[in-house]
Amino acid sequence: MNALELRGLTKRYDDGLLALEGLDLVVPAGEFFGLVGPNGAGKTTLISAVCNLIRVTAGEIRVFGHAHASNAARRLVGVAEQDINLDRFLDVEETLVYHGGYYGMSRRDARARAAEMMEVFDLSGKAGVRAPKLSGGMRRRLLLARALMHEPRLVILDEPTAGVDFELRLELWRYIRRLHSEGTTILLTTHYLEEAEELCEEIALIRGGRLLARDSAAGLRDAYQADSLADVYVKAMAR
Amino acid sequence: MIERHRPLGWLVAREILRIFKLWTQTVAAPVLSAFLFILVFGLSLGGRIKQVDGFDYDIFIVPGLFTMAMAQAAYSNNSSSIFQARFDRYLNDVLAAPMRSWEVNLGFSLGGAIRALAIGAGLLALALPVTGAPVREPFVLAPAVVLVLVLFSCLGVIVGLFAETFDHHTFVNNIVILPLAFLGGVFYSVDSLASPWQEVTHLNPVFYVVSAVRYGFLGTADTSIVLALGVTAALAAGAVAWSSWLFATGRRIKP
Repeated sequence: MNALELRGLTKRYDDGLLALEGLDLVVPAGEFFGLVGPNGAGKTTLISAVCNLIRVTAGEIRVFGHAHASNAARRLVGVAEQDINLDRFLDVEETLVYHGGYYGMSRRDARARAAEMMEVFDLSGKAGVRAPKLSGGMRRRLLLARALMHEPRLVILDEPTAGVDFELRLELWRYIRRLHSEGTTILLTTHYLEEAEELCEEIALIRGGRLLARDSAAGLRDAYQADSLADVYVKAMAR
Repeated sequence: MIERHRPLGWLVAREILRIFKLWTQTVAAPVLSAFLFILVFGLSLGGRIKQVDGFDYDIFIVPGLFTMAMAQAAYSNNSSSIFQARFDRYLNDVLAAPMRSWEVNLGFSLGGAIRALAIGAGLLALALPVTGAPVREPFVLAPAVVLVLVLFSCLGVIVGLFAETFDHHTFVNNIVILPLAFLGGVFYSVDSLASPWQEVTHLNPVFYVVSAVRYGFLGTADTSIVLALGVTAALAAGAVAWSSWLFATGRRIKP
């Protein structure tokens, strides 16, 4: 079973920018998959397409076999976007509870799950604090907790550690690893090559909306005859 | 069936929560300002104005102010809620959720309608005992109020989706809705206007909206009730069609 299948995915924005061009990608269920590429490579566009946040120009997206726009597919995906996009009117607990509600959870289930998530992400002491008043690190944790509220089978993390300090990065790595060990499929985009190497079983290199290569970190090093993933990256992007 | 539309229920609940977290701005202030209009223009200055369409002036202005307060609330609630959700990008949390486009549209639209109803109820609770305004045609008033809510809720959604800055949403309220309401017979009967202003007023869509609601209260209006309800219904249908199309196609919502 594949967690994610993209066939001929193309996205051309209204201003003419071609962000993805006929992209094919399969992510097997249970895998920790990394997407690495420079700014403007199409990583966020790809994620936005899977999560129904942009209009797809052409191609097909399936999530665990379901068409991505279907409610069945949407229930299986959790996303933590790169930018902090928290509802300014809701406090931490409400952010989680309402998100659970949007995914069909009952009030009782949503509150119980929110309490669990706040415990896991060390947010219990901030339950009644509105998102804009949280520190950057707290907001990043809340974003991740919200993505996991409805227990998705595919979790998409768009540069989850961008701009966070070293301690929080290690903490987030720990959360993400635990999630993966419980069987959740992870699709991670990152600029940090050491992060991709540390966490991902397979890494895809993307540039100009096209997939350049995909393999394990070791496989990529072999294929590019490079000593490190950084060398692989430089060679791949230069081609 | 209920479970299937539970996400919609939560979106409506979120909109209601937002309204009542900000209740001094969203409900109390509009009720107070509309009631002050009744006190100042109706009870204070109204004594110097002879009856309008057979009613004391303070009674005559109640339906128009009720309409104007609800229309502005339904519009501004939805335009600001959607604009903020787009601007801060937390709209994505809703767009990614298992909700159909019509459910997202309905969820946001109902927020404005509920806020407008809260204001309308609050205003009537103060104005009816003070002025003694009657409700002579409740079976006209009910559909007229529903059409007002639908029209201005959807208009708020549309502007919320098109607005690029916060000024755009206030521009439509201050430069379009408010002047049209003032010139649509909220404070006077158009019969008192000389030609061509009387004819020009009939080109103002808000005139028909105010007339439909006024007929529900007073049993009389400046135009035929069938025409008033018909025009308001046509405008509401157009607004529903436009906002539905925007959500169904994703234009203005999704890049």
